[in-house]
Amino acid sequence: MAILDEPIKEVLELKNYIDGEWVKSEAKDVLNVINPATQKTMARVPMSTPKEVQQAIRAAKEAFPEWRRTPPLARVRCLFRLRGLLEENFETLSRIQTQEHGKTIDESRGETRRGIEMVEVATGIPSLMMGYNLEDIASGIDEYVVYQPLGVFCHIAPFNFPFMVPLWFSPFALATGNTFIVKPSPRAPISQVKLAELVDEADFPPGVYNVVHGDAGAAAALLESPDIKGVTFVGTTDVGKNIIYKKCGETGKRAIVQGAAKNFLVVMPDANIERTIPALMTSFFGNTGQRCLAGANLLVVGKDDAFYKTLAKAFVEAAARIKIGYGLDESVQMGPIQSADSKKRVLGHIEKGIKEGARLVLDGRKPKIAGDYPDTCFIGPTVFEDVTLDMTIAREEIFGPVAGIMRAASLDEAIKMVNSSRYGNAASVFTSSGRTAREFQYQVEAGNIGINIGIAAPMAFFPFSGMKDSFFGVLHGQGRDAIRFFTESKVVIQRWL
Amino acid sequence: MVLHTTTEVIGLAKSLEEESANFYRKAAGAAGNTLIALADENKKYIAQIERAYYGVITDALEGCFSFSIDPAEYTLATLTGGMPYTEALKKAVAMEEKIISFYTEAARQSESLMADIPRAFRMVARKRTERVTRLRTLISEKEKT
Repeated sequence: MAILDEPIKEVLELKNYIDGEWVKSEAKDVLNVINPATQKTMARVPMSTPKEVQQAIRAAKEAFPEWRRTPPLARVRCLFRLRGLLEENFETLSRIQTQEHGKTIDESRGETRRGIEMVEVATGIPSLMMGYNLEDIASGIDEYVVYQPLGVFCHIAPFNFPFMVPLWFSPFALATGNTFIVKPSPRAPISQVKLAELVDEADFPPGVYNVVHGDAGAAAALLESPDIKGVTFVGTTDVGKNIIYKKCGETGKRAIVQGAAKNFLVVMPDANIERTIPALMTSFFGNTGQRCLAGANLLVVGKDDAFYKTLAKAFVEAAARIKIGYGLDESVQMGPIQSADSKKRVLGHIEKGIKEGARLVLDGRKPKIAGDYPDTCFIGPTVFEDVTLDMTIAREEIFGPVAGIMRAASLDEAIKMVNSSRYGNAASVFTSSGRTAREFQYQVEAGNIGINIGIAAPMAFFPFSGMKDSFFGVLHGQGRDAIRFFTESKVVIQRWL
Repeated sequence: MVLHTTTEVIGLAKSLEEESANFYRKAAGAAGNTLIALADENKKYIAQIERAYYGVITDALEGCFSFSIDPAEYTLATLTGGMPYTEALKKAVAMEEKIISFYTEAARQSESLMADIPRAFRMVARKRTERVTRLRTLISEKEKT
C-alpha cells in the first residue's frame, strides 16, 4: 500500500498569529516538533515570552468592542467562509495531523470532520444566542433576558487531538462575539497554524482570533491576566485541577477544565460479540489509546466462564492482528504514541501491571512495525487479564494502547466497580437488553455514556460532558453549554412611563 | 493483502468503479451510448461513496476496524481485443455481479459500525442490480437480431 504524500516536507519555523499578523517570536527557547512515526523534525515552535502573550491578549481585548457590535449574521458569515476553506483543505489538514500526532489517516479525517462540525453548529448562533422575554410580569412591566459576550477567552490545547479540541470552543466563542487566543500544544502545533491561516483567509477582523505558541510559561501568562475572562483547558487532571481550575478561581475566570479518564467498557453476556469487537478495538486502541474517551478497563459481566473466554479470546486475537505503522499508510490501523516520553510512561505502566500481578496476555512492548520506521514511539496493543481494582493499571490513566480485562458477577457489581473510579469521563455498556442499558445510564457516574458505542463522543450540538476528577467547572464545551459559557445573561425589566 | 481500514475499502470501491468504467468505454465500440452512459454513472457512484465517507467519518467510528476484505476476490475481467459485443456484455454482467458482491459484503461488514457508509454501499449495489437487468436485456436483444 502506498504512503500518502506528506504535506509538510520542510522544517517550518512557526510564528505567532497576533492581531491578524504572523509575528516571529523573540523567544530563545524553541522546541522541535517531531513526527512520531518517522522521527523527522517537522517544525520549530517558539516558547513565547510573557510579553508576547500580553501582546496577543491586548490585541484580542482591543478587537472585542468592534467584534461584539458586529451583527451575529455578519460574524457567522466569517465562520461560513472558514467552513468552506476547511472543506477545501480537508485532506491537507488531516494529513498534517497524522504527521504531527501519528494517528491513522482515517482517524485524522475523522478529527477534521468533527472540527468542521463545530464550526457548522456555531453558524446557528443567530438562533442559538436568542434570549427570552415575558410581557406583564406586573401590569405594564415587561422583562427579558439577553445573552452578551464577555471579552477575551483562551484555550490551552492538548496534543492528542491537536486540530479538533480547540474547535470545541473557539467557533462558539467567536460566534457569540468574544475574541479568542489559542495556545496549541507545543508537541503538535502545526494543524493549529494551518487553521489560523484559514481564519486569516476567511477575513476575521484582526485580533479576533490569535495563536500564541508556548509551554507552561505562556499558559501561566494567560491564566494570570485579568483581561482573560475565561479559560478552556483539556489535559491532565493534575494540571487541570491544581493549576488551571485553581488559578481561574483565584482570578475570577470562567473555566471549562477537562481532565484525565479511566473509562470502563462493560460487556454483558447478551452482547453481540461480532459487532462489539470492532467497537472495542476502536475504543481501546484507536488513536493509540491517547484519548480521554478511550476504553481502559474491559469489564466482562457474568459467571459464565465460556462467555468470558470467548470474548477475551476474540478481543486478544483482534488486538494481536492490528497493523501498526505510519498513519499515512492507508493500511495501518494504529499509529505510534505521540512522543518518546509518552512511550516511556506507558512502558512504565506495563511494568507496573506485571509487578502487581496482572497477567500479560498480549505484549506490545516490541511491536512489529509495517515499513522501515524507527521504533522510538511505537507500542503495540497490550492486554492484561486478571486485573483487579486495586492495581495501578486499573485505576490510573495510562493514555496508551493498554487494556485491562476484569470480571464482575452481575450488572450491579459492574456498576459499583465503574463508580469506584475517581474519574467519570465516559463509560459504555454492550448489551441487547434495553433494561440493562437504562439501568447502566441511570446509575453510572460518568458524563458520557455509550450504549453499544465504544467511544461516547458527543456531537457538536451536545455538551462534551464529564464528571468527578475528569471535569472541573459548571458548563461544558460544545452545544448549548458552550453558548452559555461564552455569554452572560443580562436581565432587563422595563416600564414605559 | 486483506483490507481493514475504511480508507482502503473506499480506495477499492473507487478502483472498481474506474476499472469497470474503462471496461465499458472500451466495450462501447459502435454500440456506443448505452455503455458510455454506464461508465459515466460510475463517476457518480464514486462521488456518492466518497461523500458518505468524508461526511460521516469521525474519530469515534470504527474506521480502522470495520472491514476484512480480500481485494483478490474482486479482480475484474479485462476486455480482450476483438471480443464480440455480446460476449463483452456477458463479461460485463459477470463484472457487475462481482462488484455487487463487493458492495454487499462491505455493507454487511460495516453495518451498524460506519453510519451512512453501508447505506451508500447498499445504494450502489441496488443500482448495479438494476444495471445487470439492463445488460441482460441488451444481451437478449442482441441475440435475437
